[in-house]
Amino acid sequence: MPENFTPRHVLLTRGAGFLALWLVLMGPALKDLPVGIVAAAAAAWTSAFLWPARGGLSFSGMLRFLVRFLPQSVAAGVDVARRAFAPVPPLQPGFVTYQTALPAGMARQACCAVMSLQPGKLPVAAEADGTLHIHCLDLREPVAEQLAADEAAFCETLQDGGRNG
Amino acid sequence: MSALADLFTLVMVAGGALLFLAGTLGLLRFPDTLSRLHALSKADNLGLGLIVLGLLPQVGSIAGGLKLVCVWLLAQLSAATASQLIAGALHRRKSGR
Repeated sequence: MPENFTPRHVLLTRGAGFLALWLVLMGPALKDLPVGIVAAAAAAWTSAFLWPARGGLSFSGMLRFLVRFLPQSVAAGVDVARRAFAPVPPLQPGFVTYQTALPAGMARQACCAVMSLQPGKLPVAAEADGTLHIHCLDLREPVAEQLAADEAAFCETLQDGGRNG
Repeated sequence: MSALADLFTLVMVAGGALLFLAGTLGLLRFPDTLSRLHALSKADNLGLGLIVLGLLPQVGSIAGGLKLVCVWLLAQLSAATASQLIAGALHRRKSGR
């Protein structure tokens, strides 16, 4: 069995999830349903390449993550707005490097995407050894601690704590 | 009750519009491309979030509300992914790889 093989029941569950999303977005009209089924099947097929079958999510971890993520997301928007409206934008942009424990792949990329929605940080590149180059709006902020906290919160959403890609 | 809901909608949507303005200001005023990306991805996401939150009391059905929340989630996802891709492309160009 190849490493990235996705079992059929996992694909079916994902397909059902995608179909539910499609129904929410497009409305439950019977004549549109065939298009939705094709779209959900295509999405499930694509997900087999992008999301490893063992990469399960922890529901309680997701909840804890959301409780942290939403206020942080608000803080990020307010922070940018404050700087944008200031007579002279108070910025000291620059790069920091951060060593991530997450292996290369889906988990690391998702973690970077989440970090980019947090205040003042934007991951721009990842080296093979796990060094992330992160652009910061203001180097005077305690960026390294914030990054470690972001990564820890993200890892809690994964059932295996981020040990697998 | 509906007056209260309307007030909530007005405040939230106005706040959202203000954040979109902030994102645009940042896009024009911040010094370099990566800083401008910060402004766009973060301020606009919160702006859209506030507008969605403000519109929720006005939707007639649960399906409509779910749809609004899904739109916001998809926009978050695409904003995060797009800013990653732009930042990555910029980094590769600068480092000449």
